[in-house]
Amino acid sequence: MKIGEIIATETTSLVAESYTLNHPPALGSLVWASDESGRTIYAIVCHVTTGGIDPSRRPIRRSTENTSDAGVYREHPELVHTLRTEFRALLVGWSDGDRITQSLPSQPPLLHYTVHTCSEKQVRAFTEESYYLRLLLNGGEPVPPEQLIVANLRETYLCRGRDDAWLRAAAKQIARLLKDDYERLMTILYAIDPRS
Amino acid sequence: MSRKRLGVVVEGAFNAGLTARLDPGSCTEDLRIGDFVTIEGERNLYFSMISDIALRSTSPGLVADPPRGMSPFIADTLSGTNTYATVEVRPMLMMGKADDHTFVEDITPPETVRTIPMHFSTLCEASELDFHIVFGREDASHFAVGTPLTMETPICLDLNRLVERSNGIFGQTGTGKSFLVRLLLCGIIKSGLAVNLIFDMHDEYAFGKESEDKQWVKGLRHLFGSRILIYSLEEAAAARAGRSVDVTLKIGLNQFEPEDVLLLAEELNLRATAEPTIGLLQDQYKERWLQKLLEMSPDEIALFCESRGAHPATMGALQRNLKRIARRPYVLKEAPFSVIDDMVAALDQGKHVILHFGRQDTTLDHMLVANIVTRRVRQLYRRKVERYEQTQKPADKPKPLVITIEEAHKFLSPAISRQTIFGTIARELRKYHVTLMVVDQRPGGIDTEILSQLGTRITGKLTDERDIEGVLMGVANRTFLRNALNSLNTRQQILITGHAVPMPIVLRTRPYDEVFYKDMGSSDLTPEGVKKDLTDLFGSRPE
Repeated sequence: MKIGEIIATETTSLVAESYTLNHPPALGSLVWASDESGRTIYAIVCHVTTGGIDPSRRPIRRSTENTSDAGVYREHPELVHTLRTEFRALLVGWSDGDRITQSLPSQPPLLHYTVHTCSEKQVRAFTEESYYLRLLLNGGEPVPPEQLIVANLRETYLCRGRDDAWLRAAAKQIARLLKDDYERLMTILYAIDPRS
Repeated sequence: MSRKRLGVVVEGAFNAGLTARLDPGSCTEDLRIGDFVTIEGERNLYFSMISDIALRSTSPGLVADPPRGMSPFIADTLSGTNTYATVEVRPMLMMGKADDHTFVEDITPPETVRTIPMHFSTLCEASELDFHIVFGREDASHFAVGTPLTMETPICLDLNRLVERSNGIFGQTGTGKSFLVRLLLCGIIKSGLAVNLIFDMHDEYAFGKESEDKQWVKGLRHLFGSRILIYSLEEAAAARAGRSVDVTLKIGLNQFEPEDVLLLAEELNLRATAEPTIGLLQDQYKERWLQKLLEMSPDEIALFCESRGAHPATMGALQRNLKRIARRPYVLKEAPFSVIDDMVAALDQGKHVILHFGRQDTTLDHMLVANIVTRRVRQLYRRKVERYEQTQKPADKPKPLVITIEEAHKFLSPAISRQTIFGTIARELRKYHVTLMVVDQRPGGIDTEILSQLGTRITGKLTDERDIEGVLMGVANRTFLRNALNSLNTRQQILITGHAVPMPIVLRTRPYDEVFYKDMGSSDLTPEGVKKDLTDLFGSRPE
């Protein structure tokens, strides 16, 4: 499903604007875009912002005594045109057909190309391996990497139909990556423990 | 050859041993100190022993603040990644790797380890074949003494090598020492590689006995019948049902030498002046010195002192003290050496002799009889060896003799080991084809010089530091063997190290039961066995 358009791109990440205001993809979810040659480039949503189109004009308070929350948008239909939702996603892999490679693509996706959410099948295929978690550990500013990983693991776990075996394998991978950083590791493990 | 993989070698040094990281699936509780494992290097197999097992973690935080609530998910995730186990492994023997098509017979025997395998060599459980390669298969000269703790593969002792040197069997009371000795004696007797002279000081070996499990077990007499000759110190023993004694042994006062008495200085309450006085007596009366001394009247003592310059009070005290010897029921005024000479002749025919002390089981009895008998036996063996060296005929070659003594610390304590015949035998090794099987519960009390001469040591549980130190005297890799020794169970588990095994190993001793009796007896029913028995009994017919 189409979800946004790329408005900034670089070697490690892309920034896209959501087609619908306030409807960005979930934090940690897998999205894809294609490049010129038709390769699929996978990315994981790491940050979302919603703000005014004109950076020089900050949004102001619109609610009154009688109007608040969704009512504000109903009273001010122009808001959907003056506000926008952007999301950033870290590039984590690419595929040229059958094989998925979990590393940075040689070229970032192109500006103004479409960003799609991944289907369950795509998520399953991509997360068969969990090397991509290494890329998440070193990016995602200003979101702490461990929170990003937690978000990704939860999204994927649910998407894979509460696949416990997969979660255990992924947790092992994280444990190996964070073997020298017990505190960060435990933050992740407590958060993804399916029993908690 | 497929072996169960346990982990990979990650670091190590030739001197310090290797460290292997256990695979996440391997549990430390499946491994034990002293277990026999195999490392598959690129070109060689390394037969090794586990010397230590350690739990490790990748970060100090985990040790300080282990996960709360023990969620299985977290525990499962951390184990094998952030927490893991390593084992310290000490390679003992190495052998070129054979491919699957090599016949077992073609495999070259393992040799002493001279190198170590590279990183990531696999650590495996030893397979049955590995045990066979290292310890040999049961045959005429290999005697299965037990099985590894976790397997049912019989582990063999090389009996040829066992009887080649003096051996020690140690362990606290109740660790199954006497059963172990029985096992080994049975092995030696069955193989016929050596003959035994057993000083049965606590009535353990000759006849059936109730074990600690309240089971009646057979004595050597029942197992081997006429191949065992029983000499006893008391006639009464012969009269007891089911206990047939072949010869009643008597010791004559003429057979005592000054050393026999001086060894017992403490026991007999002798003073330092006893030695010169006995010297004077011996000068005068030669081998009848003791008999004469005991017979002397006070006047005769005075006369002797006057003519020889001895001190009357010392003489009187000596006479009083030595009268204890004469009061022993098996001591006669005079006895020929022929009984002991006949004993040696029987040993020559391949018989095994048990000297049964019966109720005469004080230290005094043990020391007197064992010393006198052994000295004579060794004297005869020495003559035989000298004769063999002259003629160099195989027929003259004396059969190796193994002398089993219990309570060995009494004979081999540092204070007296230089004087007893046992000390001499232990030191001169197999020069005269006589070796000792030293059985003791306090190896710490034995002269260290003797301990270091022992070829094979078989040890049950020991707790006293001095005893452990004593057992490991003169053994390589002591620290690591000490760990293995400490990990033994109280019963039925032993550590064998030394000459008769290619590498140290911890074993569960084989049960001394019906199956064992059958193993020991079965060969006798074959035509060869029967023929051999007849030869043993009547001597071989001249060709």
